[in-house]
Amino acid sequence: MIEIKDLTKDYGTRRAISNLNFSVKKGDVVGFLGPNGAGKSTTMKIITGFMAPSSGTASVAGFDVFENPIEVKKRIGYLPEIPPVYADMYVHDYLTYVAALKQVPKADIPKMVARAIEKTNLGDVQKRLIHHLSKGFKQRVGIAQAIVSDPEVLILDEPTVGLDPKQVAEIRELIKSLKGQHTIVLSTHILPEVQATCEKIIIINKGTIVAQDSIQNLATMEKGQSRLHVRLRKDVSDMKAILSGISSVVGITEGASAKEWQIDIQGGEDVVDSISALMVNKGFGLIELSPKKMDLEDVFLKLTYGESQHGG
Amino acid sequence: MNGTVTILKKELKGFYFNPTFWIICFLLSLVFSWVFPIQLNLFAQLLTNYVMQQGVPQNQLNIHYGVFIRELSYLNLMLIFMVPALTMKLFSEEKKVRTFDLLLTSPVTSFEIVMGKYIAAMGAVMGLIFIGFLYPAATSVIAKINWLPLLIAFLGIFLVASVYTAMNLFCSSLTEQGIVAYVSSVVMNVSIWFIGIGSEVVDSEAGRKFFEHISFSSHLSAMGEGTIRTGAIIFFISLAGLFVFLTERVVESARWR
Repeated sequence: MIEIKDLTKDYGTRRAISNLNFSVKKGDVVGFLGPNGAGKSTTMKIITGFMAPSSGTASVAGFDVFENPIEVKKRIGYLPEIPPVYADMYVHDYLTYVAALKQVPKADIPKMVARAIEKTNLGDVQKRLIHHLSKGFKQRVGIAQAIVSDPEVLILDEPTVGLDPKQVAEIRELIKSLKGQHTIVLSTHILPEVQATCEKIIIINKGTIVAQDSIQNLATMEKGQSRLHVRLRKDVSDMKAILSGISSVVGITEGASAKEWQIDIQGGEDVVDSISALMVNKGFGLIELSPKKMDLEDVFLKLTYGESQHGG
Repeated sequence: MNGTVTILKKELKGFYFNPTFWIICFLLSLVFSWVFPIQLNLFAQLLTNYVMQQGVPQNQLNIHYGVFIRELSYLNLMLIFMVPALTMKLFSEEKKVRTFDLLLTSPVTSFEIVMGKYIAAMGAVMGLIFIGFLYPAATSVIAKINWLPLLIAFLGIFLVASVYTAMNLFCSSLTEQGIVAYVSSVVMNVSIWFIGIGSEVVDSEAGRKFFEHISFSSHLSAMGEGTIRTGAIIFFISLAGLFVFLTERVVESARWR
C-alpha cells in the first residue's frame, strides 16, 4: 500500500531523513517510533503529499506522491501534530467541510460525518464551537477529520497526545477497530501505545531506520540471545562459579537478592535443560525458571541511544 | 473545480457570518452617511448660484462629476484600508494555526485553493462596493441621474478592488502574521497609485507612454467618467491575474520547499 524508496529530505543543510526504505502492506497497522526530532513527522508529511522529498520516491496505492498528489490525497486521512481545526467553526460544520474538501460524494456527506462523530464520541459537542473545546476534544476532532472520508490509508501523527488516560484507551480501541479495513501508520514516542495497537514497528533515529520488524521479533532480538529469570529458595552467593561449566551462558546478573538471578544464554532450549538440571541437582530449591523477553523499551533505548549505555 | 466551490462557500460564510465584516460595513456606511449628504448639499448650493460664480468648470455642474466621482474616490480610499482587513487572515491565519496542513493534504490543487479564497474575498469586497453604490442609487429619488456612466464608474472601482484583493491575498500568503499581511497590503495598495508619477520624470517619449499605460489613476479616471476602455479593463484584469498567479506559486511552493 505504501512504498518508500531511498527517501531523503534536507532542510537547508540539515538532513532530516536519509535513505529510508520501507513498505506497508494493505490492512497493516504500523507504529512509527523514534525520539523527538528523529524524522517521524517529516516522513509522514512526505507520504501525505504535504511536501516533496529531496530525493527518493514514495507511493501510496500505486500512485507516486509527487507525480500524482491528488490521487494520493484522495486515499489518505491525515492527522498532523497539531490538529488542523478552525476555531471559529462548529464541530459538525467543520467535519462537513472537511468531507466536502476530501471529495466525498455530496449524498454521502451527512452519513460519513455522523459516522466519524460516533466513532470519536463527539456527539455531545458537535453543536459547539471548536474554539470552546478542550485540547483533548480538539484532538478528537482532529481524528474525526482524518477518518471522515473513510480513507484507505490513515496517517496519524501522535494521535493520543493531550488526551486523558480514558480517552487514550478509547482512541486505541478506535485504532484497533479500524484495523483491517484501513492501512494505518501512526507515529509516537510512547512505547506502550505501539505495543497495544501495532503489529509492526519501524524504529527511526536521526533520520535513518534502525529496526523494522514485528513486535515479537524485535522483543526477542539480539541474534538468538535470550534471558532466563531464575528464582531459588536458598541463597546462592556465587552463581558465576556454579554455571562456569556451561559455555552457552554469556552473562549473569544478580536480581533483587541472592535468591534471584538473571541469566543470559546463547543458543537453544537444551541450555535451559542443563541449567535447570544443575539447579535441582545442587539442591538450591528451584522455584521459578522463566524465559524473559527483552521488552520494547530496552530494544528502543538500545537502538536509539546507542550501545554506549548498553541495554539502557 | 469542486475544491474551489467548497472553499469558496466556507470562506464566504466566514466573511458574512463574522462580526468583523459587519463592523467594517458599518464604519463604511457611517463615513458615507456623513460625507455624501454634505457633498450633495454643496452641489445643490453650487447649482442655485452658479451664475454669480466665475470660473466654475462646466463638468462640475453635472451630478456625476460634482458628487459621484468624489464619492468614488472616497470609496477607493476606504478600500485601500478595508480590503487588507478582509484578506489579511485568509492565508496567514491558516498557516499560523496549521489548518493549512489540511488544505495541502486534501485532494485540491493550489490553484483551486487560491481561487476559492480569491472569489470569496471578492464576494466580501463586492458587499462593500454595494454599500457605496446605495448612496448614488438613493439620490435617484431626488435627482435625475444617468445610470450607465454610474455603473461603468462602479465597474472601474470594482476592477481596482479586484487588483487590491489579489495583491493583498498575495501579501497574506507570504506571512504567518496577520498584522504583517495587513501593513504590507496597505503599503502596496497605496504605493501602486504612485507608479504613474514616473511619467513626469522620464524624458523619453516611450518611457512617458509606458508610465501612462501602467498608471492606475489614468485608467480609473477614464472609467470614472463613464467610458469603457478595453485597455483599462485588460490592464486591471491582467494585474489581478498576475497576483493570483503569484499567490498560487507561493502556496504551491509549500510542497517543495
